[in-house]
Amino acid sequence: MPELPQKKVGIIACSGEEMCEGTVSRLAALKVLEQLRPADTVTICLPLFLAGGQGDRAFAKFYPTIAVDGCEKRCAYRGTEKYSNRPAASIVVSEIMEKEGLEKPRGLRQLNEAGVQLTEVVAEKIAAQVDEILGKAWSRGKGEFKEAATVVEPVESKEATCSCGSGIPVQTIQVDGHQETLVALPLIFQNIYQVHKAPSEEAIGKILDMVKIYNSLDHTNEVDLNTALTKAYQEFCANQEEQSK
Amino acid sequence: MSANKKVAIVPCSGIGKAFGTVSRVAAYQVVEDDRPEDTQLVPLALLVMGDEEHQEMLKEMPAITIDGCKLACATKMVQEAGGKVEKDFAVLEVFRRYRQFKPQGIAALNEDGEKLADALAKEIDEVVDEIVQKGAQDA
Repeated sequence: MPELPQKKVGIIACSGEEMCEGTVSRLAALKVLEQLRPADTVTICLPLFLAGGQGDRAFAKFYPTIAVDGCEKRCAYRGTEKYSNRPAASIVVSEIMEKEGLEKPRGLRQLNEAGVQLTEVVAEKIAAQVDEILGKAWSRGKGEFKEAATVVEPVESKEATCSCGSGIPVQTIQVDGHQETLVALPLIFQNIYQVHKAPSEEAIGKILDMVKIYNSLDHTNEVDLNTALTKAYQEFCANQEEQSK
Repeated sequence: MSANKKVAIVPCSGIGKAFGTVSRVAAYQVVEDDRPEDTQLVPLALLVMGDEEHQEMLKEMPAITIDGCKLACATKMVQEAGGKVEKDFAVLEVFRRYRQFKPQGIAALNEDGEKLADALAKEIDEVVDEIVQKGAQDA
């Protein structure tokens, strides 16, 4: 089965605006995203699990995630688990602060020296967790770790990769007269196209298999879905050929 | 609204874009510097988790939301929580009025970003004043 996007780790910070530890959670996450592990990490705003679309809610299924929370309420962890998938790891700023014997931070907008120090420590913990997670294989179909380990080649990146509003790409197709929004379909088409090019029976079969992995289609007739996917993939192939001229 | 009620200020929790940071910085300015007596910050993360205390609070308080992008999480979350949005600010709309201030930076805003946040905060201050004044009249 072709690989979908390069394996990255999703970092979800609570960003709790009313407490300094929330600021630490956000700044530590950003430090990892922008400086420590830019090629290996991606983020999404926590509220998008509710306010966003299907692609956003698929985030933690596609990416093994680290929830970074400011306090023991653990909104990022619980929110991610409730609306997307159970995070692979949890980091709580207040717990790290106590464990490391660090001073409580001050300043919501501008952290004091203790806050800056705590941010550094939390960021290092997140980065270490990213490395650990990348050493394991993640099943995007099941949203959990596989048994075997994989090695991921790093890709250069300079800015925090934000998935706000774009999350996992989705595509809506007409299935027997009704609209069906399918998570990851554009990526599946791209991957199949690289291997099979033309919309052969084998290619459509593989597309259907992958679509079923990433989408819950219990109430959709498989024959109708097959027909709709064939049509959509034919259009995709035609577009690709047009673009390559 | 009774005279002693505060106005809830709900910024977006944007982590990946400068506009999200502008929304948060503006909210802090209103709540900490400009109108501390009349406003209270409400974090989105708690609303996502359906925190009862904050949901109840929002049912009683008029809210001003500040959204960093078109997905308008702050506004949607307040409405979802049963709160009343008195005014929803979209940072992008505010930026259109102050195009000379192009915000950059996420962890820390550039000077233009700080200026845009200040301009936004002042617009929010005005709305807070209107709400408080109306509340005092109604009391």
